[in-house]
Amino acid sequence: MISAEQGTAPVASESDIVTVRKISREMATQMGFGITDVTRIVTAVSELARNIYRYAGTGIMQWQIINRNGIQGIELSFVDQGPGIPDLALALQPGYTSSDGLGMGLPGSKRLMDELEIESEIGTGTTVTIRKWLRGTSY
Amino acid sequence: MTTDMISVVKVRDILLVTIPADPDDGTVCALQEKVLQAMMRYDARGLILDIAMVETLDSFFARTLAETSRMVALMGGRTVIAGMRPSVAITTTQLGMTLGTIASTLNVDRALDLLSRFGERRILE
Repeated sequence: MISAEQGTAPVASESDIVTVRKISREMATQMGFGITDVTRIVTAVSELARNIYRYAGTGIMQWQIINRNGIQGIELSFVDQGPGIPDLALALQPGYTSSDGLGMGLPGSKRLMDELEIESEIGTGTTVTIRKWLRGTSY
Repeated sequence: MTTDMISVVKVRDILLVTIPADPDDGTVCALQEKVLQAMMRYDARGLILDIAMVETLDSFFARTLAETSRMVALMGGRTVIAGMRPSVAITTTQLGMTLGTIASTLNVDRALDLLSRFGERRILE
């Protein structure tokens, strides 16, 4: 049971990817998201956690329940001190990949969530934040 | 998680593999090799990947399934993916993934039908 409204989990191994999937699934389910939205959230979490593991090696996932204009949402941030993304616009282009992925990690996650923001600096690291609102823009 | 948890059952000349609910990357990779070895050992003609329990199909998992199907094809077998949940089908499509040319069916029953029809056609040919 994830009862805390916010928390942090490490992303440094394959089993951590499974753990952050579990955390986000429990949290989204408890918040009242439907099964399809829960699946969207967990899938985006899996993509972004794997990005950390693959490109930066280690990082963290931070989660919290947020409120905007009385609407509750889930916010998940994926923070690493990895190499950074040289060209953000390119990284968000469907089909683009710099490793052996299918190139849908970032653009795919963006489609699954209501919001996706990236901050990235070369040599400093990357933070990807995703949000989904309980009264979301998609069904 | 180890591949010991993945059940591989032979039904006639078809392998039925039940994928666990939330496998890690290592398990997904090990599954691929286990399935290919089993294809040869059991002289199988077809493979059914039962993903009814799978709640999250991300791009890595989907790519490995598509790859496995191509490898099975090289060994002369045919792969059918069975039992994808509605929420997984929606998410997979919106994420932008395709499973290549793998056939999929609503459940294992229909996968068996499809593979046996494929067998009949081959005999006729």
